Amino acid sequence: MLRTPSQIRWAQAALAAVILAGWELLPRFGVIPKLFVPSLSEAIGALYEYRAEYLAHLPATLVEILVSYLLACGGGVTLGMLIASSPRARRMALPVLRSAYAVPMVVLYPVMMVWFGLGMGSKVAFATVFAFVPTLLTTVAGVASLSPHLLETARAFGASRWQRILYVQVPASLPTLIAALRLGGALVIVGVTVAEMLGAVEGLGFLITRHRTLLNSPGVYGGIILVLVITSGHEVLLRRLERRVEKFRES
Amino acid sequence: MTQSAVSVRAVTQHFTVEGQSTVALDAIDLEIPPGQFVALVGPSGCGKSTLLSLVAGLRLPTGGTLLCNGEPIVGPVPQRIGMIFQEANLLPWLTALENVAFPLKLRGVPKRERLEAARAMLELTGLGNFADRLPHQLSGGMKQRVSIGRGLVQDPGVLLLDEPFAALDEQTRMVLGDEVLRIWARTGKTVMFVTHNLSEAVYLADRIIVFSARPGRIVDDVPVDLPRPRTFSMMSSERFGALKDRIWAHIRDADH
Repeated sequence: MLRTPSQIRWAQAALAAVILAGWELLPRFGVIPKLFVPSLSEAIGALYEYRAEYLAHLPATLVEILVSYLLACGGGVTLGMLIASSPRARRMALPVLRSAYAVPMVVLYPVMMVWFGLGMGSKVAFATVFAFVPTLLTTVAGVASLSPHLLETARAFGASRWQRILYVQVPASLPTLIAALRLGGALVIVGVTVAEMLGAVEGLGFLITRHRTLLNSPGVYGGIILVLVITSGHEVLLRRLERRVEKFRES
Repeated sequence: MTQSAVSVRAVTQHFTVEGQSTVALDAIDLEIPPGQFVALVGPSGCGKSTLLSLVAGLRLPTGGTLLCNGEPIVGPVPQRIGMIFQEANLLPWLTALENVAFPLKLRGVPKRERLEAARAMLELTGLGNFADRLPHQLSGGMKQRVSIGRGLVQDPGVLLLDEPFAALDEQTRMVLGDEVLRIWARTGKTVMFVTHNLSEAVYLADRIIVFSARPGRIVDDVPVDLPRPRTFSMMSSERFGALKDRIWAHIRDADH
């Protein structure tokens, strides 16, 4: 059982089928009230029924995710690389950043709405703040686990600090960077959706909240399905990147 | 008197680990004339690798001076001093050729020029047909050949080898030892070679510096008067054995 890759793939498909079947059948037979969880077919039906509305609100969410992704992941990885390259910076900055990580960022969202308004600005600001520190910490942890020998070798051959970061540290920590992007990207998507749910005029989160206040559960789950599609798309892109990186790993 | 390729004058190195200071090297004096092949031997932790990293400019000594061709060593000068480590330490995402060319890339040498130079080095180290392989596609000995090519690519006058064959099997070690001798004979470089292997030291070197256990001091400076080129059969000669015995006596005494 579950030895060959194809067996594992079949088992994965079976697990997914069980979950989807449960989603369809449990509400249908009244095991779960339909107001809490509508059946899968109803959720998809709602997705189709309100398709014009969802399509109109999708671009705002995607733009917010993209901009926050660039800021949080780009910034978190870049700053993480710089901090990781210097033991002194690591010692100084890490305790502060770890404490910052423990702050429940969602309490900041009302403040950000005051600063940036109800539009995209507050969503981008919140999702960026939400994802930045975890991305940075993951990056630093990954670089710290690299063997120091490659960096020492580069130094012996006259590499400056910048050359060491660019030519050795960054390529050597690519597998870690993917882990950092996986975490940061997921947090950005969560951040944008939550922010839209808490206060917005457009976006998928806004629609989810609106359907919820109208007690339209299928509409809520239609929105959830779209968010799932976005996170899956992110995962697919990362897997591709991962496969490219893997071919350089030493066996 | 000709100027030394490497001068080590009253060099002392302290390390502080968790508040405790240890003396790794204690007042080392050493003059190495150009073109000499010097082996550094001694018990584990005697500071011979530390001395090599000081000559490479990877760290500064606590006290004393190091000179290369009469100029103070205050940082890595890869054009004058090439380094070869125990592990090949190749960048796994670069091909053999690109790894050899890497030091030139750091100096901003144009791509075509540096790849051409790297190709010549791979030919010299016998890896001409493996230029496009990635490190994980090469054997341990081949990786170390790439690493030797990388150490040589800037044509430095001094070559530092820090236990370069320690991770290799005996046969590969012998073959690569001959290879290093061949390259040395052809290029006339000054070589400092750290090793644990006494036969290797006697077989390769003109001169063997023997270190004591920590704090590292020089306890003997042994000229190796075996003729060149060295051959495998010399290893069973009486003279070879006598030299090994002389060095072994120091190390045995130091290891108590």
